[in-house]
Amino acid sequence: MGAPEKSQVNANSMQRVKVYRLNGDGKWDDQGTGHVTVDYLERSEELGLFVIDEEDNETLLLHRISSDDIYRKQEDTIISWRDPEYSTELALSFQETTGCSYIWDHICTAQRNLHFSALSNETFHSVNSELRELPALELSTLPLILKTVVESGIADQMRLTELILSDQEFFRKLMDLFKICEDIENLDGLHMIYKIVKGIILLNSPQVFEKIFGDELIMDIIGSLEYDPEVHHDQHHRNFLKEHVVFKEAIPIKDPLVLSKIHQTYRVGFLKDVVLARVADEATTANLNSIIHANNAIVVSLLKDDSTFIQELFARLKSPSISAESKKNLVYFLHEFCSLSKSLQMVQQLRLFRDLMNEGIFDIITDALQSEDKKLVLTGTDILILFLNQDPNLLRSYVVRQEGVILLGLLVKGMITDFGEDMNCQFLEILRSLLDSYTLAGAQRDNIIEIFYEKYLGQLIDVITASCPSEGVAQSSGKSVGSSGRIGNQNGTKPEILFNICELLCFCVLHHPFRIKCNFLLNNVIDKVLLVTQRREKYLVVAAVRFFRTILSRHDEHLINHVVKNNLLKPIVDAFVGNGSRYNLLNSAVLDLFEYIRKENLKSLLRYIVDTFWNQLVNFEYLASIHALKVKYEQSLENCGTKGTGNVSDPRKRIDERALEKEEEDYFNEDSDEEDTASASMLNTQKVESQPILSNGVTPSHPPSSPRAGGLVDYDDDDDDEDYRPPPRKQPETSDEDEGTMESLRLKRKPASADNKPEVSKMQRIGKNSKSKDGVFAALCSTLSQAVLPKKTACTMDTTHTADGNQISVEENHENKPDSDRNKSDSSTTSDENHGEEEPAASKICSDRLHSNSDNGQLGGEDSPLIPPKSSPEMAVNGS
Amino acid sequence: MSDLDRQIEQLKKCEPLKESEVKALCLKAMEILVEESNVQRVDAPVTICGDIHGQFYDMKELFKVGGDCPKTNYLFLGDFVDRGFYSVETFLLLLALKVRYPDRITLIRGNHESRQITQVYGFYDECLRKYGSVNVWRYCTDIFDYLSLSALIENRIFSVHGGLSPAISTLDQIRIIDRKQEVPHDGAMCDLLWSDPEDIVDGWGLSPRGAGFLFGGSVVTSFNHSNNIDYICRAHQLVMEGYKWMFNSQIVTVWSAPNYCYRCGNVAAILELDENLNKQFRVFDAAPQESRGTPAKKPAPDYFL
Repeated sequence: MGAPEKSQVNANSMQRVKVYRLNGDGKWDDQGTGHVTVDYLERSEELGLFVIDEEDNETLLLHRISSDDIYRKQEDTIISWRDPEYSTELALSFQETTGCSYIWDHICTAQRNLHFSALSNETFHSVNSELRELPALELSTLPLILKTVVESGIADQMRLTELILSDQEFFRKLMDLFKICEDIENLDGLHMIYKIVKGIILLNSPQVFEKIFGDELIMDIIGSLEYDPEVHHDQHHRNFLKEHVVFKEAIPIKDPLVLSKIHQTYRVGFLKDVVLARVADEATTANLNSIIHANNAIVVSLLKDDSTFIQELFARLKSPSISAESKKNLVYFLHEFCSLSKSLQMVQQLRLFRDLMNEGIFDIITDALQSEDKKLVLTGTDILILFLNQDPNLLRSYVVRQEGVILLGLLVKGMITDFGEDMNCQFLEILRSLLDSYTLAGAQRDNIIEIFYEKYLGQLIDVITASCPSEGVAQSSGKSVGSSGRIGNQNGTKPEILFNICELLCFCVLHHPFRIKCNFLLNNVIDKVLLVTQRREKYLVVAAVRFFRTILSRHDEHLINHVVKNNLLKPIVDAFVGNGSRYNLLNSAVLDLFEYIRKENLKSLLRYIVDTFWNQLVNFEYLASIHALKVKYEQSLENCGTKGTGNVSDPRKRIDERALEKEEEDYFNEDSDEEDTASASMLNTQKVESQPILSNGVTPSHPPSSPRAGGLVDYDDDDDDEDYRPPPRKQPETSDEDEGTMESLRLKRKPASADNKPEVSKMQRIGKNSKSKDGVFAALCSTLSQAVLPKKTACTMDTTHTADGNQISVEENHENKPDSDRNKSDSSTTSDENHGEEEPAASKICSDRLHSNSDNGQLGGEDSPLIPPKSSPEMAVNGS
Repeated sequence: MSDLDRQIEQLKKCEPLKESEVKALCLKAMEILVEESNVQRVDAPVTICGDIHGQFYDMKELFKVGGDCPKTNYLFLGDFVDRGFYSVETFLLLLALKVRYPDRITLIRGNHESRQITQVYGFYDECLRKYGSVNVWRYCTDIFDYLSLSALIENRIFSVHGGLSPAISTLDQIRIIDRKQEVPHDGAMCDLLWSDPEDIVDGWGLSPRGAGFLFGGSVVTSFNHSNNIDYICRAHQLVMEGYKWMFNSQIVTVWSAPNYCYRCGNVAAILELDENLNKQFRVFDAAPQESRGTPAKKPAPDYFL
């Protein structure tokens, strides 16, 4: 491309430079803008730099390339030197880095050649005088030429290169000989020509490459390379290129230069990867790669600047009459186009991607993602990933638009679609990138997160619940959940899909702690995800454990309480116990979890675990971490200074106690504001139990009175932060943390969403279909959302205070909750008696509930001594 | 011949698998690896191999010297990928052997089996180059997370990629690591994969690598004593002679990448232990140039640009 005759055609941005000259004042004078080439100086074998003014075609600069080390390359776009003729500093400032490095390489090559020819002139010339010229190319001289090519030393190679280049007809004649040999089947000749061509390629000269890769020569060159004497089977490279390779013109490209570069690129790639794969050395391969790279840059930049081309491309893509086949090809084309644009400079690529976005590329991808053709879908995602790698905000800004929201849904759908043997981890990757909260903040990102939680998180959770045994089955009446009972593909959901969902959820927990918290509490997400522990694939069980561990890492007291109250650790402990003494990843992951709880001193969890599961865990006491857990538990009891005489009473009872959602209600119950004897409330379960269970919070009494009321996630705008403030903190750290999240939420508050209604109905649905806990949390959320109102409604977050301040009398709770909302609380209870069937009618549940409650009450009585009347601060916190 | 056997044959010719085959292989491998311990028990006889670093043809030499996989029981100490030209083929072959003969080959994790490191030292780029996307890299790095952290041979020889950690004084403490994660920047798991023994250090020292520690002879003595093991076998450091004992034969480094990076000029070694744990080091050279066929890559038969 540096050849002068092509410079006009090629006068693209790659060669565009500004010329500067350092004046006497030490300032750089702009000498003008033009296009730079490297070419032979007139009547000379020396190379020079030419800059031709882009306006008047005058020569702006003519500089003979010197063998002295005067050139400097700066910042990838500037080449400067002290020019002996002008006796001052000159500089070329390139528009593009590719152009700069291209010219820089030429200068370096020219310098090397100068250097070596100087050497050979002085030292070797007399010895190798035959290198003054090459013999005329004839069949009879082939051996001599071969000898010259193969046996020349480094200095001679430079000279050889020069000689070959100076004979314009050299390759033409060589290829003519090749054709003759091929016609007359002169195998010796063909072998010699193979070796000569190979030897010349290994000279690794850019100028030689430019010649032999030209349209007129390249196929013959490749043909001559079919005759490798060391390969004993026939090679048919030309045949492959001519007969089998298809240049797919998804859209006609009219520019002959572009076409020629495209074909050349493919052929050079073919030479490198196939024809020369065994012979090319590293340096040659690197040079071939840079030719390909530079070609790609030229092709993409010429096409992108061809506005009719781009317009036609998108017009076709959007045309309703286009056939599925050609549409598919157009998308494949787009993918290659975007992919090759990596050869452009960053800024240019970004500009190109913006242009493509404005042309509607995301609409096209949205369309592709809805195709039945999986390969097309995956090609669409590959394009998205190229965009995300360039600038995630492009895709983000699209997804938040009205027309873009469907794309987000398709990505979620893709993540839960079975792609058979195709790799489909891209969906997870793209979603993560869109939802990433560590990258720059911004309204767009927040909106995406918002939409995701409102519309799609539930879908992912539904996949889990649909493909794992229902909770009822898992937990009801003594059905073993041990390893023997593990379930495989329940509904054919591929394990990798569940795996990816778990991964994404872990990501969400880390990135959107507050949002996830409310969502999880509201929708019982944690226990649903833990259904994954029922799966047969152990890596899924481990993934669920990891999800749980990630949640704990948030140190969120509400979530921890939720866990305790709903006995959420049961599936994990069951999996651990079912795994027996096997020392595998599951074993380690659960031990790590216990270890974390112990080290972080999460007291409520600690007590919960030992109280509830010790009779199962005692078999594992030989493991240091299990033993340590028990020790820690006992210490914490002692610290409490109470009669907690290590009375590990019937775990079952404890669980039952936990079953009560009462505490939660208390939290959110406005009435309960009293003192925080959290521990007391928690443990005095019997009290709680005895109360008629209140269906909690999804409360008729608190209808979504405000416009913004029901939104799950609505509490972003929390004018009511004060209300939501976690209970008077006994534990500064945690509460601070909470506050932090609230703070940030406040900052990002968004307008109240209009769709509260759906949320409400969703809550109600949940209330019916799932365990009672949901109700409680629904209540929580509804209170939250109401609290959002500037004017606090009756149920403001004071309830949270009660949370730690428990001591809630039962009565307080019930107010809002219809019994019907409260269904089985089985999750919280290990006791088999609780629920025989899954999903009993609400009323039945209710009665069950009552029944078990009363049981609990009795049992609870025994247990209560465990809890010291006066709770330690930590306990209080836990209570909340 | 099963698909898996066919894939192994293909990989032995240094031809990479298709994406779909990689996916299936990785999922199977995950099921197997998840059942392994952080300290995986290994029976003798066994042949222990150090770093490979994508030097596929040199690994073929290794198998020539040590015997083929199910016949010889192998323990690889990590660093399968990066630096060499064939990380993809190297790792996939080892992984395929693992899936095919789970009890005859043990793979533990090296510091290069990491997302971060492979993005810098070659495996990421290689996947991108060979497959046109990084999906294969994603699947492979997911598998890295499942690799065991260490091995214990007949309760006598502790094997790990890097070395010891100040956080680990007993093997039991390794048990409670949830290893399914990217190699952390510090902590026990990081140290096991990054630390080096060092003569001049007494006790623990800062590692010039920026991760892990240097540990001296006294640390090794007390670790070996409290865990009742004979010696530690590790890799992680280039040794020109292929293997090197330190601290009065309490720890040995085994290095299995001859002519490391195709230019270090070192020989490589593997350590063969017989059923009585008698040791024999087998030293070998890089594969001769002519055996390093670069397999022709099949170009896509059609192109748009």
